[in-house]
Amino acid sequence: MEQKDDIYYIEKVKAGQTNYFSYIVERYQDIVFSIAMKVLKNREDAEEMAQESFIKAYKSLHTFKGNAKFSTWLYRITYNNCISEVRKRKMHFASTDDVQIADEAEEMNLDGIPEENRAQAIKAAMDKLPEDEYTLILLYYFEEQSIEEISKVTKLSESNTKVKLFRARKKLYTILNELMKDELYTIL
Amino acid sequence: MNELEDIKLKAFLQNMELEKPGSDFTVQVMNKIFEEDSALEQIKSQKILGKGFWIISILFVVLLAAIFVVSNTGMQADSQIGQLLPEAGQGLTEGYDSFFSKLGTLPLSIAGITIAVSVLIFIDKIIASNSKIFA
Repeated sequence: MEQKDDIYYIEKVKAGQTNYFSYIVERYQDIVFSIAMKVLKNREDAEEMAQESFIKAYKSLHTFKGNAKFSTWLYRITYNNCISEVRKRKMHFASTDDVQIADEAEEMNLDGIPEENRAQAIKAAMDKLPEDEYTLILLYYFEEQSIEEISKVTKLSESNTKVKLFRARKKLYTILNELMKDELYTIL
Repeated sequence: MNELEDIKLKAFLQNMELEKPGSDFTVQVMNKIFEEDSALEQIKSQKILGKGFWIISILFVVLLAAIFVVSNTGMQADSQIGQLLPEAGQGLTEGYDSFFSKLGTLPLSIAGITIAVSVLIFIDKIIASNSKIFA
């Protein structure tokens, strides 16, 4: 359904009806902005980067053949843009080893987190993840992209994507466990 | 990966609120796109061979014609002087010939330089236009 909708708008834009691109921007702005925000850690820069990604996508729309999902193609543009910007600014692109994975990480009981605190807890945990793992989790669990699609976005091999995603999930559990412990201590 | 865990985590993550850009984000993106589109259209509609190029070309042709006419007049003048001064010394005739033959190469050099400059300006203009289009 989503795929069909995207292609409908893309065809309209390709036919010269530029206005239709605003639907695409509306649909993907939050996720594109979230990735940019995670990498650049500054609202203004992230907004500029997100805008640049959409403009780049618009300019190269004629090269989009529809073989892959439009969202995958757009996320790849965004991810590449962010990586280039980080390199240009010589910023640190946080990766896997910045958080230690605990042994009990695999045994996280997600149902134990009260429903009213879930949104807050997941946001806090995601904020603590390194940029690359944040993107993997976001694309796989939130955007429901496949391993193959994620490997296209990140230019990692499929097996590497699987390994990284597995580690990212464990790390997310570790962070969530710590957050829940802190929460418990605060209550007690 | 444990499939059940995956499903649970997926459902759990759906609760997450994404970062949101400013409320006018879409408008800003679309404005930039329209600006770029109109700039591109302007460049495309702009003639590469503008007025300046044609004025310079016409002046160049006029200059060449003038040189041609002047050199022909010089040749005529040469023969007329030869007729007018049949008794003039050979030295004077040789000096006169030498002066005009040296002068004759001068317009050719100027023409060469002018052509080269015109070609360079033309190439520069084409490259500048293309770089704007593909930027």
